Amino acid sequence: MRRYFEKMDDVGRELRKGEVKRTDDNVAALKEVEAELDAAVERVKTTGLSTEKINERGQMTVWQRLEYLVEPGTWCPLHTLYNPLDNPEDTTNVIDGIGKIGGKWAVVIGFDNKVFAGAWMPGQPENILRVTQVSKRLNLPLVWLVNCSGAKLPDQEKFYANRRGAGTPFYRHAELEQLGIPILAGIYGTNPAGGGYQGISPTVLFAHKNCNIAVGGAGIVSGMAPKGHFDVETAKGLIEKAKEFRDEPPGTVKTHYDETGFFRYVFDEETEVLDALKEYMAEMPAYHPRFFRVAEPKPPKYPSDDLYRVVPLEPKRVYEFEQVLARLVDSSEHTEFRPGYGPEVYTGLCKIDGFLVGVVGNRQGYLGKDYPEYGDYPGIGGKLYRQGLIKMNEFVTLCGRDRLPIVWIQDTSGIDVGDAAEKAELLGLGQGLIYSIQQTDVPMICVVVRKASAAAHYLMGGPPANRHNAFTVGTAASEVYVMHGETAAVATYVRRLIKEDAAGRPLEPVVEQMNELAQQYHDHSRPVYCARYGMLDEVVKMSELRRYLVAFAGAVYQNPKSICPQNHMVLPRLIKG
Amino acid sequence: MDQELLAPLAGQVLAIKCAVGDTVEEDEEVVVIEALKMETPVFAPCDGTVKEIRVKEGASVEEDDVLIILST
Repeated sequence: MRRYFEKMDDVGRELRKGEVKRTDDNVAALKEVEAELDAAVERVKTTGLSTEKINERGQMTVWQRLEYLVEPGTWCPLHTLYNPLDNPEDTTNVIDGIGKIGGKWAVVIGFDNKVFAGAWMPGQPENILRVTQVSKRLNLPLVWLVNCSGAKLPDQEKFYANRRGAGTPFYRHAELEQLGIPILAGIYGTNPAGGGYQGISPTVLFAHKNCNIAVGGAGIVSGMAPKGHFDVETAKGLIEKAKEFRDEPPGTVKTHYDETGFFRYVFDEETEVLDALKEYMAEMPAYHPRFFRVAEPKPPKYPSDDLYRVVPLEPKRVYEFEQVLARLVDSSEHTEFRPGYGPEVYTGLCKIDGFLVGVVGNRQGYLGKDYPEYGDYPGIGGKLYRQGLIKMNEFVTLCGRDRLPIVWIQDTSGIDVGDAAEKAELLGLGQGLIYSIQQTDVPMICVVVRKASAAAHYLMGGPPANRHNAFTVGTAASEVYVMHGETAAVATYVRRLIKEDAAGRPLEPVVEQMNELAQQYHDHSRPVYCARYGMLDEVVKMSELRRYLVAFAGAVYQNPKSICPQNHMVLPRLIKG
Repeated sequence: MDQELLAPLAGQVLAIKCAVGDTVEEDEEVVVIEALKMETPVFAPCDGTVKEIRVKEGASVEEDDVLIILST
């Protein structure tokens, strides 16, 4: 199969002099947004107690543990800004991502021990469920850095119960284990109650000498008999009990290493726990990359920094999709599937770090006066029409046949509308694509390069495709909304305008409301907002996008559950004819 | 030699970014056409001097209408 993959067709071209000249403002604008994102990430990193304070206590912070644990250059953080229930600490109190440990890709998550000693907090269960889903979808070991003081009690009603509450991750841990996905846990500090289950639910437990895990901690054990009120006598009793348990809390190493044996190992130094995790990770089942690579890994021909010039921040500006693709894939090479058919959509095979992937993306700009063939109006990229939808249905299905992971590159304003579009069956073809994706059991990643809008965001492998979408990353240019704010303002207020006008009343108050709604849409679709509320799993610098794709491809091909021999693949032959 | 710059699509001229007599470089953005809620930039096909501008901002154009003539 070398002839199919070693040298594929060239895609993209160098930037021309005029393009460089006219895009300086765009570079500056995108970097300004990235600086805002950096500032938001910094707030997450510095929230809670200082690093010095934690280190004075003889502990490492979660950030220091991650830095020690994960191989340099491989860490791809996820959910850094995720804080859907607006915790004032700017975090759900878990830090996660994918990275290499001991030479193998893993999903890694740890409690931030700088904030309430790693407590459960609002929004955290959903964050953890996203992480277990990444592990499940990519078939990657999950590595926990447990350091969890249990529920932040004043906020318990926001996360303790419910179908996707703080107990659900323990079921997910069991599910992963039943699927054959191991969970390793390095355990530090005091882990009572919820923290105890965070400690016990993984597969192999690596304990630091000062840690404990327990059904209930000292605080609960010393005051578990409610009598309807508190009085001074009760308070004095509590003081005595609490002192007793502070000296010897339940579930220490003495109990869970010496007696129950729950802890498989105990280490004196914090770093020794991490060293043991590295050793275990090095022994995890994984194919050598050469088993699946179709060619030697090569960087793109064109620099990734060009993306700051290729992708306009202004959502109305058109650009060449192929110029984006050429800066993401190996050697800037591809093999396009059905070129010319459904021109608003790109579908093709590309290599990422030597691994074969399917790529689907939105082309931008004018599509020619004869397209869409069913309408008497011109088509424009970003929108989806009949042919593009048919082509995506075919391509996704064939990727499933050949066990190829799919990279979706979204910049879409929606599906064509109007009666001609209805007659062209776009509603059925759109849902048909959702059906195709759902029955195509391969991992997918979605990159929201710029716009993600309307149902097109759902059906182009976005986060709603969550059985197969491992994660979705955005950029400084990303904006996610059901429709553009001005369109929404028109849809909301046009009848009111007609009424006011007919009644001879001034239109200004309605116009003011329209502007307010449009502004609200703008504010609530910015990258930081989208990351905070989970519309994007991470917002990534333009220059870092390829690194995430490399991590995704490496993770997918590390230990796939189902494989297609290269010599049995159909898609490359269908393209070649 | 004169080089015609044609409208790549039908729409409204949103902006003209040059004036008669200006020197422009290849791929410099000289006109922007708005259609279907999107802005399509039109770039100079080569280095040259703007000899004539055939359209005005706000005007409607058809595909392949001449927008600008460049002297090269």
